[in-house]
Amino acid sequence: MTGAPLPEPAVSPTATEAGVPSTARTSRPRWRETLVLLARNPTAAVAATVLLLIALMAVFDETLAPSGPNEIAVEDRLQPPSLEHPFGTDDLGRDILSRVVLGAAVSLRVGFLAVAFALVVGALIGLLAGFYGCWVDDVLMRFMDILFAFPAVLLAIAVLAVRGPGSGNTALAIGIVYVPVFARVTRASVLGVREEVYVRASRSVGASDWRLLTRHVLPNAAPPIIVQTSVSLAFAVLAEAALSFLGLGTQPPNPSWGLMLAEGRGFIDLAWWLAFFPGMAIFLTVLCFNLLGDGLRDVLDPRQRTLMAGSGR
Amino acid sequence: MRSTRSLPVVVAGVLLVSACGGGGESVDTGAGGGGGGGGGDTLVAAVSAQPDQFDPHVTTAYPSFQVLENVYDTLVVPNAEDLTMEPSLAESWETSGDGLTWTFTLRDGVTFHDGSEFDAADVVYSYNRIIDEELSNSFRFQNVADVTAPDPRTVVITLSQPTPNLLERIGSFKGMAILPENAADELDLTTEANGTGPFRLESSDASRTVLTAYEDHWGGAAGVGGVEFRYITEPAAALTALQSGEVQWTDNVPPQQIESLTGDDTVELQTTPSVDYWYLSMNYARPPFDDRDVRRAISFAIDREAVAEAAWFGAAQPNQTAIPEDSFFHTDYAPFQPDPDQARQLLEQAGVQTPLTMGLMVTDEFPETVTAAQVIASQLEPIGINVEIETLDFATWLDRQGQGDFDAFYLGWLGNLDPAAYYQEQHQTDGPNNYQGYSNPQVDQLLQQGATETDETARKQVYDQAAQLIVDDVSYLYLYNPDVVQAWAPGLSGYQIRADKAINFETVELP
Repeated sequence: MTGAPLPEPAVSPTATEAGVPSTARTSRPRWRETLVLLARNPTAAVAATVLLLIALMAVFDETLAPSGPNEIAVEDRLQPPSLEHPFGTDDLGRDILSRVVLGAAVSLRVGFLAVAFALVVGALIGLLAGFYGCWVDDVLMRFMDILFAFPAVLLAIAVLAVRGPGSGNTALAIGIVYVPVFARVTRASVLGVREEVYVRASRSVGASDWRLLTRHVLPNAAPPIIVQTSVSLAFAVLAEAALSFLGLGTQPPNPSWGLMLAEGRGFIDLAWWLAFFPGMAIFLTVLCFNLLGDGLRDVLDPRQRTLMAGSGR
Repeated sequence: MRSTRSLPVVVAGVLLVSACGGGGESVDTGAGGGGGGGGGDTLVAAVSAQPDQFDPHVTTAYPSFQVLENVYDTLVVPNAEDLTMEPSLAESWETSGDGLTWTFTLRDGVTFHDGSEFDAADVVYSYNRIIDEELSNSFRFQNVADVTAPDPRTVVITLSQPTPNLLERIGSFKGMAILPENAADELDLTTEANGTGPFRLESSDASRTVLTAYEDHWGGAAGVGGVEFRYITEPAAALTALQSGEVQWTDNVPPQQIESLTGDDTVELQTTPSVDYWYLSMNYARPPFDDRDVRRAISFAIDREAVAEAAWFGAAQPNQTAIPEDSFFHTDYAPFQPDPDQARQLLEQAGVQTPLTMGLMVTDEFPETVTAAQVIASQLEPIGINVEIETLDFATWLDRQGQGDFDAFYLGWLGNLDPAAYYQEQHQTDGPNNYQGYSNPQVDQLLQQGATETDETARKQVYDQAAQLIVDDVSYLYLYNPDVVQAWAPGLSGYQIRADKAINFETVELP
């Protein structure tokens, strides 16, 4: 099982940059230190705060939205932003602010479900492939390679074509697309960790595979996966918008940012606010997830971490 | 595949179907050869999609007919004003006393674009091609027993039963075009054309189709040297192209801009009521939509005015029947005034458990279906019907319609001239487009009677009765007739906007 070293796999840039972590040596719980370091990184802190606000908005959508997002009032159509409708109204007279607020719930839910699916399935596959190697690795990773060979959006469209449009299926489609990414990142990380001295030591005193995986390998292989999760959330929100834009994702009349963008496109000459606000919402969310991902990568990288912790004192 | 699939949608007259027009924002490579640019007297028209092919007997796509209208002729054509039939390749015609023999006298001195003479053999060939090969319009000849040419200037059509609307059947659009004898063997009709119309097909590629005037046209040479159809998918882009003078004509006008364009002197905008109708259809095979009361409840819950306003920004006339007000067969019948209370009562009477979920199938190929569906969903919610909108691509949509895999769908029929064809197809028990599964023996009987009744007034009465039964039973839930909206450069003359959406550039002159 501990055979010859395996060839280095192709990994996504995130995983290589994030590097393989060394053992935790600090006395403080690691996650707390991570949070403190993250808070010292201004861009990441701002991004995290904005995301928290968006998440709160998504949770309290119904209470926050000034009016029903699907309340049609054709006589109030295409009103420019005003006090009554801060973001204006769309072509059916619906309040755009309310729709953007409720769209957050739709977009984030799909994003989280998709990434959760990709994370669980992908990390499991990567973990097994990386830890056991041999034929398990070959079978699992070649299958991942096949999935990876499809352009992301095309694969998602194919899944939706089979399963039919809708929010749940969109989450599944995006999730499937990101499974190979997580599998690769996890495997690469696990390959480095499993040869560490502490893993060998643990094995030599008779620890079971299960204990090795859960106590030693997974926690130490986690940082790149966490970074990948943040970055993937950005892509998942974007993918949801793209699929809804194409009419395959969220179905009208439910608001989703991508769908609102698609609907607003035809009115851009007449009423810029139809496409502008959902577009801004997508932009802001994706930007924040990316910035947070960048910050996390810096914080979780042991070399950077020492540097930052040092300068902080 | 595509054309046979789309055939059902193409009912009585022309065309719903739009070829997908795949990504065809015009790509100017300048390589097109011959085309625009050079001749200062070429009219450039912006249309929304690329023709799928040029065989008039096979295609069902509207973008193809936009071009073919100018290339081919039929024996008779609809008058641009009121769509009644008038002479074209046939100069005159006579009907025998029993209504079973129609004798057409053909025009003299007509030549095809390759210079060959037009005669009766060409008519016989063209009609027999449609009948024998069972092409998309063969249903129009269902009563035709024989087509013969006793002499080169005469065509005789023998019928198995009286067919009062024979002229509409053979002339309402260019799907019944006259090809030269053996054209299908000598030409590749999907890409080539040899007609008798005012323009000849010069070239066609992924960005444009170019026509040049045919000097020896029987009606005199056209007013412009040629026509270039440029495909501009995005309505806003088409409008900008018109305003900047890049094109001189377009039918791709976003409805939301109609109002702001009426005062704009950089474009001439015209609208006219069309003979299209848009409707909601419910599946009789899926309870509780087999229950007349449930369908009537839905009909009472829908505010047609609001749907028309939302989808067309005022450029559509709400109508509870199929036929628009200006048409001869219009019947003034509107039993459903928006009344949620009555709707609820009917649902209760039917013993339906609310909330009831109804899937509503729409397609982004026709964005107005998506808009209308959202308004309908908001109107049905208060009476306890939860509408689940499904936006599908049109191919999937057609598949599911064909398999009867739907609760309800929303679509339109375009270019409907004579009620015989479209009523029979859509509401007769065994009608080929009766996807909803409507069956009312009384309607069947009336439609049979209407198809053979030769007296116009009596015929109208028959169709009035049938229309009322169809509306009462909610076989189709009709909503509105949209306007035809077209815009062109100021000073462009000789163009006439038509209710049947045929686009004829024969008499157009550039400013």
